[in-house]
Amino acid sequence: MSKFRQALERLVDASAKERIAVSAAALALSILVGALVVFVSGIVATCASPAFSVLGVGVCYDPINVFTELFLGALGHPEQGGWSPTNYRIAIALQQTTLLVFTGLAVAVSFRAGLFNIGVQGQLVFGALAAAVATIWAGAIAPSGVLGTVFLVPLGLLAGAVAGGLYGALPGALKAYGGANEVITTIMLNFIASNVAYVLVSTFLMPESSQLVQTAVIPAAAKIPNVPFIGFEARDAFSLVALVGALAFITGVAYLLAKTSFGYDIRTSGLQEQAAAYSGVDAKRTTVLSMALSGALAGVGGAVWVLMVKGRFLTGLPSLGFDGITVSILAGNNPIGVGAAAFLFGVLKSGTIAVDFSTDVPVELVDVLRGLIILFVAMPEFFRLIGKRYLGLGGEQRA
Amino acid sequence: MSSVRNALRAAVGVFAALVVLGVAFPDSLFGLVTDTGTAEAALRLAVPITLAALGGIFAEKSGVINIGLEGLLIVSAFAGVAAAKLLGTGTSVGPIPSIWVAFLVGVLASTLLALLFAVVCIEFEADQIIAGLAVWLVALGIAPFASIVLFGTKNVQVSTLGDITIPVLSTIPYFGDVVFSANIIVYMMFVAVPACWYVLNRTQFGRWVEASGENPSALDTAGVSVDRVRYASVLISGVLAGIGGAALSLGHVGAFTAGGATMVNGKGFIAIATYLFGNYNPLGTLVATLLFSGLDSLQIGLQQAGIAIPSELVQTIPYATVIVVLVFVGRTRIPAAAGEHYDSGEDSR
Repeated sequence: MSKFRQALERLVDASAKERIAVSAAALALSILVGALVVFVSGIVATCASPAFSVLGVGVCYDPINVFTELFLGALGHPEQGGWSPTNYRIAIALQQTTLLVFTGLAVAVSFRAGLFNIGVQGQLVFGALAAAVATIWAGAIAPSGVLGTVFLVPLGLLAGAVAGGLYGALPGALKAYGGANEVITTIMLNFIASNVAYVLVSTFLMPESSQLVQTAVIPAAAKIPNVPFIGFEARDAFSLVALVGALAFITGVAYLLAKTSFGYDIRTSGLQEQAAAYSGVDAKRTTVLSMALSGALAGVGGAVWVLMVKGRFLTGLPSLGFDGITVSILAGNNPIGVGAAAFLFGVLKSGTIAVDFSTDVPVELVDVLRGLIILFVAMPEFFRLIGKRYLGLGGEQRA
Repeated sequence: MSSVRNALRAAVGVFAALVVLGVAFPDSLFGLVTDTGTAEAALRLAVPITLAALGGIFAEKSGVINIGLEGLLIVSAFAGVAAAKLLGTGTSVGPIPSIWVAFLVGVLASTLLALLFAVVCIEFEADQIIAGLAVWLVALGIAPFASIVLFGTKNVQVSTLGDITIPVLSTIPYFGDVVFSANIIVYMMFVAVPACWYVLNRTQFGRWVEASGENPSALDTAGVSVDRVRYASVLISGVLAGIGGAALSLGHVGAFTAGGATMVNGKGFIAIATYLFGNYNPLGTLVATLLFSGLDSLQIGLQQAGIAIPSELVQTIPYATVIVVLVFVGRTRIPAAAGEHYDSGEDSR
């Protein structure tokens, strides 16, 4: 008991590990509240045959079943027989992880610089559109086969990075030189991006035969290839190469923040703007550059969505940008943590499909969980208080 | 009165934009600008934004940046419609017709969410921006979830609060038609704006709110609890945004749409821009809101007139205007202690 206590006490006190403890507690608490929400809505909802009944009241949804599906169903039920690690549910979880690494890193970079980039979604939209347009345009002159892939995939990613980076630099410049609050401008730019992309595609880029607002299909060579011999069931929409690339980006951003002078500028600006200015950091330039970098990462994420998942740009993109905010906050804006949080959210995405498939519970439940996780992560004081009051943790008492 | 100057400058800017548009489309636009339908719609569209913005003023002046206004609007708009649907049309609870009970349920839902936000920010010292985002995201998830659980659909239709026509005054040409024969919610807005101005500028509570955001330790020294003033202010933002949200769904539309960004669709964020632009003055905020809702209303009018601009492009105008306004006239000074926790130094817990 006392050993367990000491371990917990170290967790509560150690600020380095505190983030992890808070994130884990926040996650657990949101699942608990989520289960309560499922239980209560199960009483309210009407259904032909209740899952179980409490004191004679029929309850339509079984919270335990829902959360089993959400987490184990997300992985294709490893607890059951005949499970293989390359099943399509895992492929979906890893596909979403890949995408969320980019939007999560995008948000993390801006937050570390003390800027709230809520516009990752808009930057993602333009990154995706640019990647589709660039690869379709270059597809006509590119060779086919492996040579074409070597040319087209980097081109698509670069186009995504440039478009997303420019769209991210815009609110950065508006903040640095116009004093416009980036929280508001980036939110507005999200609305503008989705509308402008819709107009651009429906006016100029739609194939005549198409019923949906979408571009033509990108050349086959522009799809991000997979590793030979490792066959995931959903391999068309998931590539291990892309996942490895995403992990490389995590390492790259971690290195940039920790070891480079630009990373130092970002961190000091985020921690103490005036001190940064005194120590010779050009605050305006740092603001624009960190927003551009953030937008570029988001744009690469959009490009990967096109080059790996959809094979074309179509309107109504998933809310990867907003999920990126949750991922980054859960990770404490730490690039390495972003990897873990992105995987967790990848699992939640895949689990959403499992929940939709095997239960009657509205899948919007996962969106509620997303909000709850942020809410709980936002209040470490709450957990500190609980730790002190009910677990007797935390050495120093307030005088 | 820099807020008035800001408003005037922006008004001139928007007028110039209208002239440019007017040159491009001489026949239809002139008619649209002077059309009573456009003006009525502009007033109606302004209600949820104005009320949410008034709430935002209280919270931010007291030192709590409430970026969750969008979430408060979503929750109250949905709760109002859900209650109206469950109570049914034509019934009443005691002497109150069910539609008004539903309205109150909407306000209550928003106030409870604001209370949660206040506890998280004040008691547990959460980062206000992140907690506000959480309020938005929770609302964005819970509204469609509850809508499907309760009604099996994301689109719920109910009846509306209806219009009030004031005798005599409504016979004034043009003006009477627009202002004195309007939806009930429009009157609420016209009452709320001066009331908030009075409370903020002419009462003891208004001075506490100001001090709580500008110099909390001075307020503390004067023997007033900073936390209490902030709780009260955030709750007021919940009540006002709640009225705005319930007005949005029950006032004229009589429905709630939970798909996508929901029917609130960024109005909470535009509200933040309008009070920044109005420099925390309720009157300036109303002017700013009317500019945006006027644009929105014109945009709807343009669609109906069949002008061949893609509607999605026209819809970006209000958002783009918010950005332009923030850059050129919106450089307002936010309260000195906004976003910061205040610790009285005593062990209050």
